[in-house]
Amino acid sequence: MNWRRDLAKVGALLRRRKLADEIDEEVRIHLEMEAQENRERGMRPDEAHYAALRRFGNVTQAQEQSREMWGWPWLETLLQDLRYGLRQLRRNPGFTAVAVLTLALGIGANTAVFSVMNAALLRYLPVRNPQQLVYLHTRGSVPGAQGTGHYSYSFNLASFRELRAEHHVFSDLVALVPLAFGKVPVRSGNESEEVAVNMVSGNFFSGLGVRLARGRAFTLEDESRHSQVAVLSYGYWTRRFARNPDVIGQTLYIKSVPFTVIGVAGHSFVGVEPRKSPTDVWIPFQSRADLKPWGRSPEDKKGLYGSPNWWFLMMMGRLQPGVTWKQAIAQLQPVFQRAAYEGIGAPKPKDRMPELYFSATGGIQKLRENHDSPFIVLMAMVAVVLLIACINVATLLIARNAAREREFTMRVALGVSRRRLFHQLLTEGLLLVAMGSGLAWIFSLWATRVLAAWSGLTVDVAPDSTVLVFTLAVAVVISLVLGLAPLSSAWRVPSGLALKRTGGATSHGQSRCRKGQVISALQIALCLTLLMGAGLLIRTLRNLESTNLGFRASGLLVFGIVPPQGVHTDAERLHFWQMLLDRVRVLPGVESATLMGDRIGSGWSNDTYVRVDGVNPRGNQGSIVRWNRVGPDFLHVLGIPLLEGRDFTDADSATAPKVAIINQTFAQRYLAGRNPIGHQVEVSKKHRLKVIGVAADSKYTGVREDQVPMAYFPYTQTSGGGTMTVELRAVSNPLALLPEVRRAVATFGPDVPLLQPMTQQAQMEETYADEQMFARLAMFFGLLAGLLVATGLYGTVSYKVNRRTQEIGVRMALGAQRRQVLWMVLRESLVVTLAGAVIGLPLALVGARLLGSILYGVRPTDVLSIGVALIAVCALTVAASLVPARRAAKVDPMVALRYE
Amino acid sequence: MAKQPLQDRIELVYGSLDMLILRTLLWGPAHGHGIAQSIERTSEEMLKVEHGSLYPALQRLQQEGWIRGDWGVSKNNQRAKFYRLTASGRRQLAAETSRWERFVQAVSSVMSPAEPEEGK
Repeated sequence: MNWRRDLAKVGALLRRRKLADEIDEEVRIHLEMEAQENRERGMRPDEAHYAALRRFGNVTQAQEQSREMWGWPWLETLLQDLRYGLRQLRRNPGFTAVAVLTLALGIGANTAVFSVMNAALLRYLPVRNPQQLVYLHTRGSVPGAQGTGHYSYSFNLASFRELRAEHHVFSDLVALVPLAFGKVPVRSGNESEEVAVNMVSGNFFSGLGVRLARGRAFTLEDESRHSQVAVLSYGYWTRRFARNPDVIGQTLYIKSVPFTVIGVAGHSFVGVEPRKSPTDVWIPFQSRADLKPWGRSPEDKKGLYGSPNWWFLMMMGRLQPGVTWKQAIAQLQPVFQRAAYEGIGAPKPKDRMPELYFSATGGIQKLRENHDSPFIVLMAMVAVVLLIACINVATLLIARNAAREREFTMRVALGVSRRRLFHQLLTEGLLLVAMGSGLAWIFSLWATRVLAAWSGLTVDVAPDSTVLVFTLAVAVVISLVLGLAPLSSAWRVPSGLALKRTGGATSHGQSRCRKGQVISALQIALCLTLLMGAGLLIRTLRNLESTNLGFRASGLLVFGIVPPQGVHTDAERLHFWQMLLDRVRVLPGVESATLMGDRIGSGWSNDTYVRVDGVNPRGNQGSIVRWNRVGPDFLHVLGIPLLEGRDFTDADSATAPKVAIINQTFAQRYLAGRNPIGHQVEVSKKHRLKVIGVAADSKYTGVREDQVPMAYFPYTQTSGGGTMTVELRAVSNPLALLPEVRRAVATFGPDVPLLQPMTQQAQMEETYADEQMFARLAMFFGLLAGLLVATGLYGTVSYKVNRRTQEIGVRMALGAQRRQVLWMVLRESLVVTLAGAVIGLPLALVGARLLGSILYGVRPTDVLSIGVALIAVCALTVAASLVPARRAAKVDPMVALRYE
Repeated sequence: MAKQPLQDRIELVYGSLDMLILRTLLWGPAHGHGIAQSIERTSEEMLKVEHGSLYPALQRLQQEGWIRGDWGVSKNNQRAKFYRLTASGRRQLAAETSRWERFVQAVSSVMSPAEPEEGK
């Protein structure tokens, strides 16, 4: 074949019928001409006709061959097989529906979970050459250094300055830091709202290789001049400005400071930490006191510049082409360690130097770094579901092919080659997989949306081309597996003999039954593993939900506030907070109100070293304590029991004696055996406070945490971040307070939106969103697996009962009771179940070990979970076999015996 | 199926039939019957073409773009499809002719080697 002829054939595709007619016509004319010549030579008309035919040869063959010249024989065979396969599937709609649906559920679940995993772990940032990008991390710290943000991500400014100069390693090094722990107020026009803003180095967009949808990106000059310009994310541009192109040049007031919009980032770029909340606005590094990183207050000494021992910047580098991670680290390590000590003095010999290391932004490497990610466990779960589904369909196919043995025999006897028969059966399997995959794709489009909502992922998790490749690969593998099923059927067809045989029973029946039982047992084992996992995860969720938080989370409304423009000094700020408290306290429906620095349940925590009565209670080791700045009535509003002493009041003002409340763990660990009241807690030389109360322990960063020593200080007596969180105890539904609260807060000016308003309950639930998603999915997958196993078993048992109808008839004729027949069928299923359980138990225990760190308050060998899973599997198999068993018991001996 | 013997015969006629058709069309357009008769006549009835085998060959030559077929009317006022050589068909014929000549020469020099003393 050559391309010119293929092209000619493609061109002829649409007029193939006409071409065929023309060929027939030509041949007819040819014969006519020949006959006419023969007649002219003196032959009789009929003689002339036959002579012409003889001369011509096989007319039909010539026509057919000429026609075939315009086609592709293999394609035609395939089309024929497809048509035949479709006809077969249509003839058996029940079988087709069950098989397609089973495959669709199995493949769909895999596609959906893979899609989410792809978005969370595999997919690179949507930038130029993302494989060259690395996140920079540090292990260990420098004496006297203080960090804010994610421990392993945070660097000091000197590190950025020095590493940035290493051009032979990094073609670009970018740094960024959020303007606050959460969001900050941003106003355009009169409307103010909460927005996630990052301060970035001037090469942020150019270095990362982010395409801008509109306008221009920052330059290094923007960084050195601290230009008040902003780039919006595509999402924010869409949400807030309805993609108005005139947004360029408009003014945004970020924490009341005016910024000019100069650009909009590309559609797909949502920041460099897409799993966390997406960034809405980027601005160059600022040196203003009122725009400090992490929401530091203007009077705080710590700022972007000039605080050498503050570790707060996050960095990403683009490696020069050809530079390996190892080479890069080797080159950078000494530079980094020098920069780490800048402004602190020379390292002491016994100091452990901080170490620089990298992590990937996507791809297999990132997957390897996150090998303990929930998604990998989920992937394993759905793979098991798919395996069960495949086994089911394969079993169905084999059973159906067995029932079609007579048909096959007939066709082989009529001259169809076994190869062709195999091709046809393979085509049927392919059709099933194709339909199943198609349906699975549609199913996964919907499922990924649900998964994204459950997992709290903000990135786009919709299936992309990578996922499509994955799904196709899965489909191919399944097709190969299902292809083996007809292989055995096609090759086993006896030639000729079987035609004479009458009915269902075949010589292979016995071994096929045994194989079926083994397969059923395997399925039950897999199902048991999944159910066990589901049980453990559900118990984990229950434990998390019922954990005593140590405070009353229900009935609390929580929201963040940033003081408005014009509030500059500490005194002004204290005044503002007092006024705010006074205003919201008296709102109808508000029982009480207080303030806190770090929001409980947000995951952030403030840790420091502490001395008690002038000494370090743990001797040589540092005594770490977690602390929070809080408002009056804090324990009362939160509902934390006061064990000794008193709560804070309005009287604990800036000028009053400095006081602290400690928690029970603090008292037990650092003041063991003493009455804590009256002792002195020292955070720094200047900061000594007297213990006035002991509070019960309560959860802080999340539900799963262990108790740590904790101290509460009055917000009036400690300087800190500009953002505070307000807690309101509501009389009834906390969210119903929102409109009233918004109105009250709005009186302080247009730049004071409520930041992330929600119930404290919801805030705490967020800390176990992963486990919640996990438990729901595991339950769903467990149910799915159970359903599949049940249908599979139902099919197998029904098939067996049908085959044994005659035997059952004989038994009953000989006096067997219906009860005995019922038991006979059920017993076999129970034996299979038992075998499944024996294989499945060790498998389940291994699987449970994989869940490891995800579990909470339950051991991987939890007896209750094993027990429930076992009972569920037994119930399942009994239920699935009961229907065919009862059918068997209803067999009429007379009918059964007459039955062929 | 009876495919085997047929394929053997096609193998035999395959290339040369194409060439013969092309050569015949060099005289001018002709219909299928005309081509068959022309081959027989010019070969002095030595070559018996099975008329039926002509038609698959005609399809192939059309697909290659060496000939074109158009419906027309014959001398006897009969409708028929007339085939015509295209430019690329002419080139193909030239190439095949020279190859054929070399082939014949080679075969005949093997079959009847020239006597050394009579050498030219």
